[in-house]
Amino acid sequence: MLQLQNVTFKAPDSKTKDKTLSQKTIVDDVSFTFEPGGFYTITGPNGSGKTSLAKLIMGINELSSGKIMFNGKDISALPINERSNAGVVYGFQHPARFKGTNFRDLLSISAGTDDEDTLARIIARVGVCSMDFLDKPVDGKLSGGEIKKIELATVIARNPKVAIYDEPDTGIDLWTIGPMVDLLKREQKENNTTTIVVSHNKAFLETADTLLLILNGKIAYSGNLKGAIPMLEDLSVCTFSKSCQGENDDRCYR
Amino acid sequence: MIDATDKKILKEVADLEGLPKGAYNIRKNGKLLGREVSANIKIETNEKGDGIFIDIKPDTKNESVHIPVILSQAGLHDTVYNTFIIGEGADVTIIAGCGIHCGGKESEGHSGIHEFQIKAGAKVKYVEKHIAIGEGSGRRILNPTTKIFMEENAQAEMVLTQLGGVDEAKRYNEAEIGARSVLLITERVMTEGSQMTESKNEISLTGNGSKSNIVSRSVLKGDSKQDFYVNLTARAKCYGHIECDAIIMDNGNNQTIPALRALHPDAELTHEASIGKIANDQLMKLMSLGLTYDEAVNRIIQGFLN
Repeated sequence: MLQLQNVTFKAPDSKTKDKTLSQKTIVDDVSFTFEPGGFYTITGPNGSGKTSLAKLIMGINELSSGKIMFNGKDISALPINERSNAGVVYGFQHPARFKGTNFRDLLSISAGTDDEDTLARIIARVGVCSMDFLDKPVDGKLSGGEIKKIELATVIARNPKVAIYDEPDTGIDLWTIGPMVDLLKREQKENNTTTIVVSHNKAFLETADTLLLILNGKIAYSGNLKGAIPMLEDLSVCTFSKSCQGENDDRCYR
Repeated sequence: MIDATDKKILKEVADLEGLPKGAYNIRKNGKLLGREVSANIKIETNEKGDGIFIDIKPDTKNESVHIPVILSQAGLHDTVYNTFIIGEGADVTIIAGCGIHCGGKESEGHSGIHEFQIKAGAKVKYVEKHIAIGEGSGRRILNPTTKIFMEENAQAEMVLTQLGGVDEAKRYNEAEIGARSVLLITERVMTEGSQMTESKNEISLTGNGSKSNIVSRSVLKGDSKQDFYVNLTARAKCYGHIECDAIIMDNGNNQTIPALRALHPDAELTHEASIGKIANDQLMKLMSLGLTYDEAVNRIIQGFLN
């Protein structure tokens, strides 16, 4: 069980000159419990705090206040690697690219072994990557879709208890989104993986057991998709111009 | 005789557990320690006696030559002139490199001046690794020079590595690349403490259809300093690329100066260069896979220099 207790994240306000004086609240006193084996999709307008919230769970963002409990243990102060070793794993929206590192290297780190048969089994399990991906350098030459598939595989290879995927469908072709949703669903069912997906994609909204709609750093709604539809169809909930100051200053805290 | 230190150095610079198979020439403290030739690879001391002449017969395939240098004599600064003739259609690997063991206060140094004449259609991989070990306080100095002359349709891959221990290195690479020939140079250097390196490269694409790719990967720890210069000159319809990246770990100082000169209207020359700290997103990714901060840093550096 993953519990967020009054979780708040503040960051320096980009509008003010003296960053120490003014802070902007990105995630605002959020409390929520993710049940084991549940499939959750976090959605909301640009700049609402979705990615910031996901990064707080992984420890990439540091809590300003509040507490994160995982299976009864307070993980609020744990560094990223210790959270990962506890079973919380994160798939990045914009995965890192490395010079001199290939997919095999990343997958081996993730799986804790470089045994060829084990890596082949992981690739078969993930499905969306072929074996010839293994020796591909994870550098700037990979397409956006390829690196997202690699990112997905490295998360699954760790057999996470809680898997967080930040916009996993970005750059993925239409023919892969369906299999990707099926894969995450299968991992959830077969391994009882608590699955948290940050996404705007209808496929993930429809797949979720529970939908979380984030507005202005708060959970504006949690429940099934049917109950969320009136809010999702209300275009006024988009806070883009308020949160991001329009196109002249599109700093985004997602 | 090969002693324990020699064995350690041979292992480090040439990945040798003992004497290599095939042709080799091992030089220790300015003198010949051992030599073996093969039916296709001839090794002779040059006329002046200050180096060797390696002649590889045309069409020699899948053979290798090891020419490591060991330096362990305090105060010795050894300069050696080696010439390599790679015959037409040959396909060979040359493993070079120098290991310094410094046990005292006096400096030790080696200047290996290598000239390659790569004949038409020949293919050569040249692997050169420099290391310096020992508890002595003397400076360890390595100043290699590599000159490459390629005829047409030849291929050369030069892998030049210096990973720590060397206090001062001044490298000079020069190449003339003939028609439809390809030269790949990869230089990997890691410095630490107050070590300094300088690498100067003068590469000339002289033949139509010639190609060159020059890659430099630098890691700077401590207060070390690295300067990397490339002048890539196109004198024909050709393609050339320079890629130089440096990671500064602590308070290092790096200059990267790639220069492109197109003296032919159909030349295509590109370069990319970057200097900076380890990217935060790389650290976050590896830590999210369970590595500690230090483990993540090591893996990133290891891959970068791979």
